[in-house]
Amino acid sequence: MNVEEVSYLSIASLLILIIPVLVINRKLRIGLNKEIFYALARMVIQLSLVGLFLQSIFRLNNPFLNLAYLLFMIMVASFSAARSCSFQLFKLFIPLFLAFILPNVIVLLFFNAFVISLDHLFNARYMITIGGMLLGNCLNGNIISVNRFYQAIKQNKNEYYYSLSLSTNKTEALRPYFKDAVLASINPTIASIETIGLVALPGMMTGQILGGVLPLTAIKYQIAIMIAILIARYFSAILAIIFTSFQAFDENDVLIF
Amino acid sequence: MIQFKEISLAFGDQVVFADFNLNIAEGEKVLLRAASGRGKSTLFKLLLGFQRSDQGEILFKGRRLDRNNLFYFRRNIAYVSQDVDLRNLKVWDLINEIFDYKYNRTISITKEKVMELIDFFLLPADLITKEVGQLSGGERQRLGLIICIMLNRPVWLLDEITTGLDQESKKVLVNYVLKQHKTVLIISHDQIWSKNNLVRVEEW
Repeated sequence: MNVEEVSYLSIASLLILIIPVLVINRKLRIGLNKEIFYALARMVIQLSLVGLFLQSIFRLNNPFLNLAYLLFMIMVASFSAARSCSFQLFKLFIPLFLAFILPNVIVLLFFNAFVISLDHLFNARYMITIGGMLLGNCLNGNIISVNRFYQAIKQNKNEYYYSLSLSTNKTEALRPYFKDAVLASINPTIASIETIGLVALPGMMTGQILGGVLPLTAIKYQIAIMIAILIARYFSAILAIIFTSFQAFDENDVLIF
Repeated sequence: MIQFKEISLAFGDQVVFADFNLNIAEGEKVLLRAASGRGKSTLFKLLLGFQRSDQGEILFKGRRLDRNNLFYFRRNIAYVSQDVDLRNLKVWDLINEIFDYKYNRTISITKEKVMELIDFFLLPADLITKEVGQLSGGERQRLGLIICIMLNRPVWLLDEITTGLDQESKKVLVNYVLKQHKTVLIISHDQIWSKNNLVRVEEW
């Protein structure tokens, strides 16, 4: 692989093109310059740290360390998802953690073992990158599914109670909200699978091609990862609703949140 | 058959029930009358377990409403909520869904039976092809009652099912309900329910 190494100076040269942005902002009094500086600085610091960190993790490539890092990423994802629901943070953390870890670890190991046929399933170069892509997608999906589900029940409280009286069974009365929430979570993934490559090349493919991989190889990876994302996101969305629902309803099937 | 015993309930500092008692015998038709906000609908919700009381207990044929008997309460009670909050599906699909619920599967429903009831309650024949959202309030109320009738459970809770109906429809509906060998609790501001000696009026 012959990647053109980017020097720090050449990155800095991009700042020349930012000068007109700053000038226009100032002239038109669009109060954005502070934010731009802050965001750029933050990005540089954040990514530098991640880069240093990943570099040493990749160099060590210790299976336990890699697994621990993956667990850390899953915990952060569970925390973000729980926080997005804004209610009952700690009650939701464990159910969400399980909803993240089960499908993600299974799909990830399957992917590494049978799709890429790695000798070392816990190889950092694959585990952390692919794991991160799966997790990021599940995070978006679970935020949608869990929020949709509970908001729909809250907004249609009387409808839910009426169904509950007709059915006598919570699972049956919840089914329509469950279905809508799973659809809302999965539809964006299906849409992006459909249009992939037409609008923009996906990030992973772009990265691989820039890294010197042939487009046809990059495409194979991209197809495999999209399928893996769909599966992980689907199961994660379903499990997130099921696991949180054990905490969310009281013994009379009434939503507590 | 149904006993509310010393029920107390308050939402914040608004007291809805304080030591409320009510006994209902099997087969009785009871009209609940109280000013708005005095907890009539809440009483139905308490009976179905959708609302908990702060104190007191509710019995159904001697069984106390708790976790173990919740299902027993619900399967013996058919409820028509005030706005008949049905999901926006085609009426016929909705009926099929309701009678496809596990507990209701033993009940056989046919289109003829539904059409008969639709006709009896002076509803248009094309009702079952419409979506719930297209129905008027009065049509929804009668649809709720039709579902309640077909569920054939021993106790009926009817929350404002005659409001806004024309006199003719009201008469048909009230006569039908009062003739049933069911235990019926009625919430209504309509005088028509009490113009006979079949209905016991509970006022608070």
